[in-house]
Amino acid sequence: MNGPELLRLFDPKLCLFDLVGTTKDDILSEIVTRVAPPGSPNYRLVLEMLRNREQLGSTAVVKGVAFPHGRSLAVSKLMAVFGRSAAGVRFDSMDGEPSHLFFVLLAPPQDRANQYLPALGRLVEMIQDDRLRDRLMTVNTYEDFAAVIQGDLPV
Amino acid sequence: MNAQEQILIALQDLDLMLKETTDSKEQFTKLGFETSGVDELRRARTVLLNKLETTHAQHYERMQQRYGRAVTPVTSDMCLGCFAKVPPVYRSTTYETKVRMCQSCGRILYFP
Repeated sequence: MNGPELLRLFDPKLCLFDLVGTTKDDILSEIVTRVAPPGSPNYRLVLEMLRNREQLGSTAVVKGVAFPHGRSLAVSKLMAVFGRSAAGVRFDSMDGEPSHLFFVLLAPPQDRANQYLPALGRLVEMIQDDRLRDRLMTVNTYEDFAAVIQGDLPV
Repeated sequence: MNAQEQILIALQDLDLMLKETTDSKEQFTKLGFETSGVDELRRARTVLLNKLETTHAQHYERMQQRYGRAVTPVTSDMCLGCFAKVPPVYRSTTYETKVRMCQSCGRILYFP
């Protein structure tokens, strides 16, 4: 999966540069609030799925970055959400450091194009780059975010 | 969506996560994701199952065993499990409080 293909998964309205939550659950709720109307069945289902995924093992795997992800019947198509917390949040990361960048990947049970795991893999691979992470800590518009993801902006 | 349907969908999501964790364990591990909390998820599954009425729980388990996925979405009044037509009346308020099942294959229907 290349940069433009990956970028297509991100809705510009779902790039959240100023997350304010202070706990793991706050952050997940804050993000899901943008995906489904708060209190709706879909909101509860997606949130519960992400909480269960965190129970399975923390999704904060790389320095300061977490990848909450999973499949749910409440999701109609593969989609990604980007979130950033300047203050950082304890996300039970392996290194014990707070997480600042959040890439949430949501997929329906039937992902006919089978893009879910490749997209997750590409995100994890891409974010290993220190400079790219630093750049994502400073972008404030979808356009700049898109340029970083597509590799158009020098990092 | 009524409360029982919501639990059934949450249960289906959980079962899918458990299955994917087993099927793609190597891939997840390679990406650096920890998946050691399977027992916690199994406990969460039991909690959800106990919240269901017995008949729904038994039907879910039966469908899960038969098809691998007990709950299936409906689009264009069609069961996406077997592609049979779903009665339009299923969308009426009369059925809002009921758990709706495909008359052809028996799968539990989810109306997005």
